[in-house]
Amino acid sequence: MRYTGPEVLEHLASAYVLGTLTGGARRRFERLQRDRADVRGLVAQWETRLGQLAVSVPVQQPSEQLWKAISARTRPAARTAEPSASGWLGWLKPAGFSLGGLAAGVIAASVLFVTAPGIFVSSDQIAMRSGERLPQSYVGLLTDAQGNGKLLVSSLRHGKTMTIKVIGPITPPASGRLVLWAVPATGAAFVLGTVPTSGSAVSVLPDTSEKLLSKVSKLVVTLETDASPAAPGATVVFSGNCAKLW
Amino acid sequence: MKPDAALDTRSLETLIAAAAQGDHACFARVYERTHTHLFGVAVRILGQGQAAEDVLQEAYVSIWKSAGSYRSEVGGQTLQAMTWLIAIVRNKALDAYRARARRKENALPDDGDLHADDVQSTGNPAPSALQLLEQATEALHIEGCMNTLDGSYRQSLALAYYQGLSHSEVAAQMGAPLGSVKAWIRRGLEKLKGCLAAQGVVAS
Repeated sequence: MRYTGPEVLEHLASAYVLGTLTGGARRRFERLQRDRADVRGLVAQWETRLGQLAVSVPVQQPSEQLWKAISARTRPAARTAEPSASGWLGWLKPAGFSLGGLAAGVIAASVLFVTAPGIFVSSDQIAMRSGERLPQSYVGLLTDAQGNGKLLVSSLRHGKTMTIKVIGPITPPASGRLVLWAVPATGAAFVLGTVPTSGSAVSVLPDTSEKLLSKVSKLVVTLETDASPAAPGATVVFSGNCAKLW
Repeated sequence: MKPDAALDTRSLETLIAAAAQGDHACFARVYERTHTHLFGVAVRILGQGQAAEDVLQEAYVSIWKSAGSYRSEVGGQTLQAMTWLIAIVRNKALDAYRARARRKENALPDDGDLHADDVQSTGNPAPSALQLLEQATEALHIEGCMNTLDGSYRQSLALAYYQGLSHSEVAAQMGAPLGSVKAWIRRGLEKLKGCLAAQGVVAS
């Protein structure tokens, strides 16, 4: 279906919000929303109109367990563990990422800040702030062993969420998942989140970035098969620096 | 609820903005203020039971994760926080309802009304979809405007909105041709748009 006619868009937006647009047509319209601000505006209009009808819906009390379950999922406990002497430490040594490599990462990140600040504003949290300067944040640029940029990691200094954005093609692992780790100068590495293979993902942190990352200078991504790995596995996929943007 | 929760005068928009910054206490306030209403929305579509709670759980986790994406203005349209929350819950409830309908369709091809068993399981007759529409239009002062529509138009719109029924499900429930139901709902939506515009709720 062509989506050019305003009447067609109006009809689709109303049917989408009402719920009568179903199946593949619903999914296609959701993709269209992501691409077009005018369509998002139409949907917002219909959400406002139809949302008014909810005024008469009788309130209902869910079980007390519901909030406990939601809270448990939105306040994950910090995962920390003793570092292992496995391969991921070696990744930080000169072979894969020498000081020159680290410096190159910093320079690359700096160039990106200057030439393409929009990339860093892609985080929803950062985008909320419209000042002339970028907000105080922790950012990281991770590359593969060849130095190709793969991931941008950003988190507001006092925020508790972290956005992991894919900036270079990533081949999804045949098994397991890619996990982002923070590696403090001293102490155990800890998990920051699961890495998407495309688009971006937001991880909820157990504490503010300031408390978690102030002493973290390195970030690594490893391939993990364990659901809750205690320490970075041997297969390091990407690595980079964690920098303070202030 | 914490003792001072009732004294918290911050707007829902402010609390969501704080939640977007990782303030879990503010997220808890959002839940306290909205969960009974949003659960009511989910129950209307899914009926009482675990399915509605599961949807609400997924919805709030999604709200926590995407709080930073809430905008009070979208494409020039003001979007109230409660409207945003209702849309999230309705979309998840509709997805769950359609998925359940597909499962039942596969398991019990002759199963008739997919929704009636769940609604009846409450043991407490809930107001009908049409009654809810009438109450809402009265509260919005558009009952006179909406009542110029034929009853079948309003009935079909009410079934689609409050119970999340698809066109074909509305047609089956009303015993009406599918084409007629599609036209009734479309006309009902156009009428609603006009009636609300006359009240200053979103210009036509």
